[in-house]
Amino acid sequence: MSSSIPVSVDPPAPDPGPSSLSASRWPFSLYNRFSAWRKALDLPNPGTSENLTKEAKNTLLNNYLFDGARADLSKSLSMNPAFNVTHSFTLGSQTAPPAYHFGAIFANENLFLHGNIDNDGSMSGRINQGWTANNVTKAQAQLSSQAGQNFFQVEHDYQGSDYTLNAKAVNPSPADGTGIYIGSYLQSFTKNLALGVEAVLQRPSPDMADVAAAYMVKYTSTDRNWIATAQVQGAGILQATYWQKLSDKVDVAADLQLVAGQGRRDALASLAARYELRMASFRAQVDSTGKVAAHLEQRFAPTFSFLVSGEIDHFKNAAKVGVGVMIESASFTPEEMALMPPPPGSAGLSAP
Amino acid sequence: MPSEETKERIIKAVDLARIVVHYGWIPFIIYVGYTRSNPQPSLIKLISPLA
Repeated sequence: MSSSIPVSVDPPAPDPGPSSLSASRWPFSLYNRFSAWRKALDLPNPGTSENLTKEAKNTLLNNYLFDGARADLSKSLSMNPAFNVTHSFTLGSQTAPPAYHFGAIFANENLFLHGNIDNDGSMSGRINQGWTANNVTKAQAQLSSQAGQNFFQVEHDYQGSDYTLNAKAVNPSPADGTGIYIGSYLQSFTKNLALGVEAVLQRPSPDMADVAAAYMVKYTSTDRNWIATAQVQGAGILQATYWQKLSDKVDVAADLQLVAGQGRRDALASLAARYELRMASFRAQVDSTGKVAAHLEQRFAPTFSFLVSGEIDHFKNAAKVGVGVMIESASFTPEEMALMPPPPGSAGLSAP
Repeated sequence: MPSEETKERIIKAVDLARIVVHYGWIPFIIYVGYTRSNPQPSLIKLISPLA
């Protein structure tokens, strides 16, 4: 993802002289000098604005917590290109009724397709198409039979040598131009520091438009062992995260969300740790609303893992407990597995 | 700005596309995966959770 073009840090070559006319005319020479100087800085690509807090999100528990019982049966039908189907059953959750989900994933070097449908007929789908190593177009949709619950988003990512551009449209309507349109630009300023700006245009109806700006800053340590990010949105919303890798197996993350303005003053701080062991991964989290949560994923065999998740809300005296199994069945024999090439890296394409 | 007639046509086309994607997306992925898989799996393995 953050592939920087290897260039020497030597100063740019001296001007070849008046023989090369195009390079010495002033707008071109200025541009050439500027781009040579920019190349000589050898700045890394800052990553996408969507993945600004990716490391912290991976450590925090919020996306992993579940309650009730669940079983995921996933079947890998092909390794290269990757194709697998998932049957997942959930039961006994406090917040959601029992459900069945069927999912299918197909991925090769530059195409990623994902679809998921539940027993109510709600469908969510996603497609990522990589055109070149730097250009990726993504679209996702959530469609249900009830009107007014549909969601569609299309976006394009361009990753330059030291910057990233992203353009996004949420629920765009070609008939009257309503929808939410977002453009973002993230630029590395030093080897460690990247700054970004995001503009959001909201058009809920054809005669209403509202523009808001958001700002992002990301600081990565030189050895890439810790990352601090902050995002400020126009309406007084601040999100700050800090992620640190303590060793190969342990990383910690902190997250602070502040909402101030429009008569609301609210803050949420969470602190989490993740242990990635050989056959298990364990996450624990405490937050400022008095919740203590933990999640354990224990792999007993490469194809069978067992999940336990729990949360205690000390202020409200409530608790959530979840247990789950994940079974992966490959449809090929061990001999076939040995013959297969390793799965491709799917550069630039990653599931959320 | 497009005329009312064009607008109505666009809305109809978007609605149709939504229905096609809603019911056709998963079959489409399964078709793409099934035809391009290496080796090609059997259909029963594809659909049944137990096979």
